[in-house]
Amino acid sequence: MRLVPLAFSLIALLGAAMPLRAEWKALSADEDVAVAGKLMIATPKGGWNRSTAKPSARSERWTRDGLALNELTFFAGVAEGEALYFAPLMAKQDLPKFRAQMLPTEIVELFENSNRMILDSSVFAVSAVEPAKLGRFDGVRFSYTYAAQDEGLTRKGEGVAAIVDGKLYLVNFVAPAVHYFDRDISEIRQLVSSLKLRPPKPGAAK
Amino acid sequence: MRRLLASLALAAALCGSALCSSAQAAPQVAQILPSSAGYQPSDAVEKGLWLEMDEAERQIRASKFLIDDPELNAYVKSVLCRTVGQAKCGAARIYLIRTPQFNAAMAPNGMMLVWSGLLLRARNEAELATVLGHEFVHFEKQHSLQSFRDIKAKSDAMTWLSFVPGGLLAQIGLMGSVFRFNREMEKQADMAALDYLGSSGYDPMAASQIWEQLRGEMEAQAKANKAIAQAEEGNSFFASHPNTKDRMEYLRAAARRKAPSSDSGEEQYRKAIARWWPRLIDDQVKLNDFAATEYLLSGMARGNWTADLLYARAELYRARGKPEDIKAAERFYRQSVAADAQLGESWKGLGLILLRQGKAIEGRRMLRQYLAIAPEAGDSAMIGAMAKEPGK
Repeated sequence: MRLVPLAFSLIALLGAAMPLRAEWKALSADEDVAVAGKLMIATPKGGWNRSTAKPSARSERWTRDGLALNELTFFAGVAEGEALYFAPLMAKQDLPKFRAQMLPTEIVELFENSNRMILDSSVFAVSAVEPAKLGRFDGVRFSYTYAAQDEGLTRKGEGVAAIVDGKLYLVNFVAPAVHYFDRDISEIRQLVSSLKLRPPKPGAAK
Repeated sequence: MRRLLASLALAAALCGSALCSSAQAAPQVAQILPSSAGYQPSDAVEKGLWLEMDEAERQIRASKFLIDDPELNAYVKSVLCRTVGQAKCGAARIYLIRTPQFNAAMAPNGMMLVWSGLLLRARNEAELATVLGHEFVHFEKQHSLQSFRDIKAKSDAMTWLSFVPGGLLAQIGLMGSVFRFNREMEKQADMAALDYLGSSGYDPMAASQIWEQLRGEMEAQAKANKAIAQAEEGNSFFASHPNTKDRMEYLRAAARRKAPSSDSGEEQYRKAIARWWPRLIDDQVKLNDFAATEYLLSGMARGNWTADLLYARAELYRARGKPEDIKAAERFYRQSVAADAQLGESWKGLGLILLRQGKAIEGRRMLRQYLAIAPEAGDSAMIGAMAKEPGK
């Protein structure tokens, strides 16, 4: 029976990487919300909640029905040499780093490769990559599908990203390919197109 | 003391069955191996184990990680069948799992798991046959059942199984630790697999060659990670296997005593995995494991860098993106398109790496080459915008 407590301590160890308990706060419908270090302003429709647990210091995560059903993540002001996510505790390799010189397709590669590592999944395929605006800035839109190991489910995702003053801004939506993605994607596109970026003025303290 | 009693009980239990006698004395009862048609589990322990494995197999069948390409599956099965013989290979149900690490395992109920990282690493059919044969011997000789009886005597392994955190692959990894074979079992599997290589006409030297390559890859990775001591522990397959150096030596010595064969099946192997190769190497490059991937690519090239290998190497360097990597990547992309001008992805990579260095005019021209070869590519809209001359 020696092995069972080991399994428990492993769970405890994994849990230590996250805050003890993520809290959710409901967001008011149709009101401006400052997001991810106040570098973005979003105006959600009803039903969205934001988590106190963040994927990284420069991001935040929203959901409507729970992360398993819809997940909206905002990254704002990711700087040269930073990763998109906090490093997973058990990871053998470092996560790829953002470079200010990255081209639009390379931002998509950064996103894909980071997620493959976080999810420990090679079942991840980017389908379409096209020019798009994030706020008033030129950027890239990409769509993809993936599967995580512990669920027999395909998820669909769509992200829009831009580099502004050498910093990365990215909004990403993920939901199960069955029903949930299609149900919400037009609302998400609307939210993203009305998003305002508030990059700090060049020279200002970060 | 409890441990000793348990071992004694285990010894008694094993000697009560055909297993105890199988190694030395002639068996008293006719021994039916699990590789024979219609084999059924014999007692409660074995039945319980099969039940668990059948459940795991159901999950794997539904998994999104399963590579269900019938052609590739048929090919891997045909290699197993040539290796262990048509009469026996029917006992194995092979599942190809899309995951870039090296691993293979066979459960006592006949489920054989082959990770796509093995298909990437094997350089010819004989190397693949080595690993498939090795796992098949564990199955045939009921090594996992013996290990399981051992574990069962010490703890409730089923309770342990149900407490595993993590996903499918972690659970497969755990199979490796539940079925932790001892050194004798591993050596037995190695030597019997070598016999299979001999009887099926494959080059017997392949057996030591694949382990040599894997050993090198792990050393390269460990050196880069400054964790040499963990080189073997880091891989669930190797955690339970004999020291790779010893194994290479005894396999090489034994292979020299076999009839030599030059049939490594390299050509047909390349052909069989060609459609999958770009995805397999892409999965590996995206692990962000520079040192191991660089070693792996060099081992595949063995001095002969094909357009595909040069492309993969260029992608690896571009992904790491240090200033000196950018230069190296440009060189590899150029060599790649020189070797095969139809490799669209290499034109794209070359265009991107030139743009990164501010060589905009040439870079855009290279991106247009890519679009001419792959006009329907998923990223054609974005690349098209990047390839456009300013002001047009």
